[in-house]
Amino acid sequence: MRWQWSAAAAALVALFAAAAVFPHVANGYELFVGTEIAIFAIACLGLTVAIGWSGQVVLAQTGFFGIGAYGTNYLFEHHVPWVVSVLAISLLCALCGMVVGFPAARLRGFYLAIATLAFAELLDQLFNNATAITGGPVGMAVVPFRLWSLGVNVGLWYLSFVVLVATVVVLNHLGRSRLGRCLRAVRDAEVATGSLGLSATQLKVVAFVISALLGSIAGSLYGQALTFLSPDAFSLNLVIEFLVVVFIGGVDKLSGAIVGAAFLVLIQEALQSFGAYQRLIFGVALVLVVRFLPGGLVSLVPLVRARWRSRRSRPEPAAPQPVEVSAA
Amino acid sequence: MSDEHLLSVRGVSVSFGGVDVLHGVDLGADAGFTGLIGPNGAGKTTLFNVITGYVRPRAGEVYLDGVALHGKDAYQVARLGVARTFQTPKLVGEMAVLDNAMLGIDGRAGARRLGRSFGTRRSERATRAEAAELLERFGLGRHLRVPAGMLSLGSQKIIEVARALLARPRLLLLDEPAAGLSGPDVEALARPLAEFASSGLAILIVEHDLELVKRLCPTVVVLEFGTVLAAGAPEEVTRRKEVVAAYLGGET
Repeated sequence: MRWQWSAAAAALVALFAAAAVFPHVANGYELFVGTEIAIFAIACLGLTVAIGWSGQVVLAQTGFFGIGAYGTNYLFEHHVPWVVSVLAISLLCALCGMVVGFPAARLRGFYLAIATLAFAELLDQLFNNATAITGGPVGMAVVPFRLWSLGVNVGLWYLSFVVLVATVVVLNHLGRSRLGRCLRAVRDAEVATGSLGLSATQLKVVAFVISALLGSIAGSLYGQALTFLSPDAFSLNLVIEFLVVVFIGGVDKLSGAIVGAAFLVLIQEALQSFGAYQRLIFGVALVLVVRFLPGGLVSLVPLVRARWRSRRSRPEPAAPQPVEVSAA
Repeated sequence: MSDEHLLSVRGVSVSFGGVDVLHGVDLGADAGFTGLIGPNGAGKTTLFNVITGYVRPRAGEVYLDGVALHGKDAYQVARLGVARTFQTPKLVGEMAVLDNAMLGIDGRAGARRLGRSFGTRRSERATRAEAAELLERFGLGRHLRVPAGMLSLGSQKIIEVARALLARPRLLLLDEPAAGLSGPDVEALARPLAEFASSGLAILIVEHDLELVKRLCPTVVVLEFGTVLAAGAPEEVTRRKEVVAAYLGGET
């Protein structure tokens, strides 16, 4: 047990060291890509809680992402300190999550997906039309935020990385303790939750709120990364991209959102010349993964490890991992 | 039925789409086992669903120690001290046996306080220890880390009983706990349950295994076509002509 702890500590130190060095070895483009991966991972970790753990297919995340970006910029423009703006807007989104959550918690599966998609579309309309705050379809420049004396992009990378790590640490604890158990009970045995004195509605709302909170914080960071906001960035295309992240990465695991975000951003950058065909490729990839690898890319790890182990010890075939589609 | 019972069900009627499923059912239960028997479709599970808040009765009242249960949602009824199991166990298949059992503790009043609801290290450790201890008593100590869905139906039913008991209920409703269980599994289940019953827990049990019912329950209630056909000591009740007829479906 002890060496595992030291190995984990060493890995963590190495990770932080790599993150600290990254802006100094990467060029501006690579730094942007790295930051974008971290930001998408944060937003999609919210979806891991809502979709993966509690089984509620909520598609409103892009709306909260947009509110985070526009709202933070609006407050910051009006001389509210940036960190305060981020927190204020994320609390607003948490409240929104609660308000949307109570009626949404009574919907199931397909109906929930459509209702929350409508909410995202509604906000997209708002971004287009609330010209005073968002600049409308023309968009608006983002006021850059400087972290101490660091360059804007370098500071943003550090900030995104730290927020991502903090999110993973907190969610890792929640997922393994009471809340994680209760949300999974809502997902796989909702009938039983009532008999245990647990209100499925309240638990779903908690999942929505966590999801909205993370979506908003990620949005605040995304605004800084984009430097220019226009409603196109938060349209329904982004809904598909978020779904690609969570389902291709692995919807039930925290690592899934990170792997998925890396997959999405890197493939997107690699396939830039494909234009609209990109979306087709993502669509096909999504269908293939959901059909053949419902646990996502991260579910390959235990599979490969089991095969590798069995090859080393005895020539027995690896035990198949039980995989389930966890979304309702 | 008088108010002196821990659980009293008075004149409960339920109809689904115009069909009467329960018709003016009265029932009382106290500490110890009470059996609820009757042919398929008699309305036993529906009566369970009424008591636990899953189904709203068209008429009638349900009280636990004088507190009304009717008109409340399932989770509110559970919080008043009523736990139950289901005919087919409702567990989180991919989650470990231990975690499934811990859910029973997660719903308790103390665990729902905001400070503990996100799982402090200390509360988690205490929860795990308590759940593990009870699972040991049911003979599942070897399987604590196994995903619940990998175990046999019998084991899953026992896990569900343990989960319900960990909620520390005053009244426990068991819906066919022994159906599909092997002989040793039935024993593994019955022994700890009897201990709980003798220390003051009221257990209402729906069961088709009449031998088990006779052994455990000092009182049984027979339900047929949504009405109470008979109630009393099992030996006496099961000898009655109308009960035999109901069970065999004949016209004896």
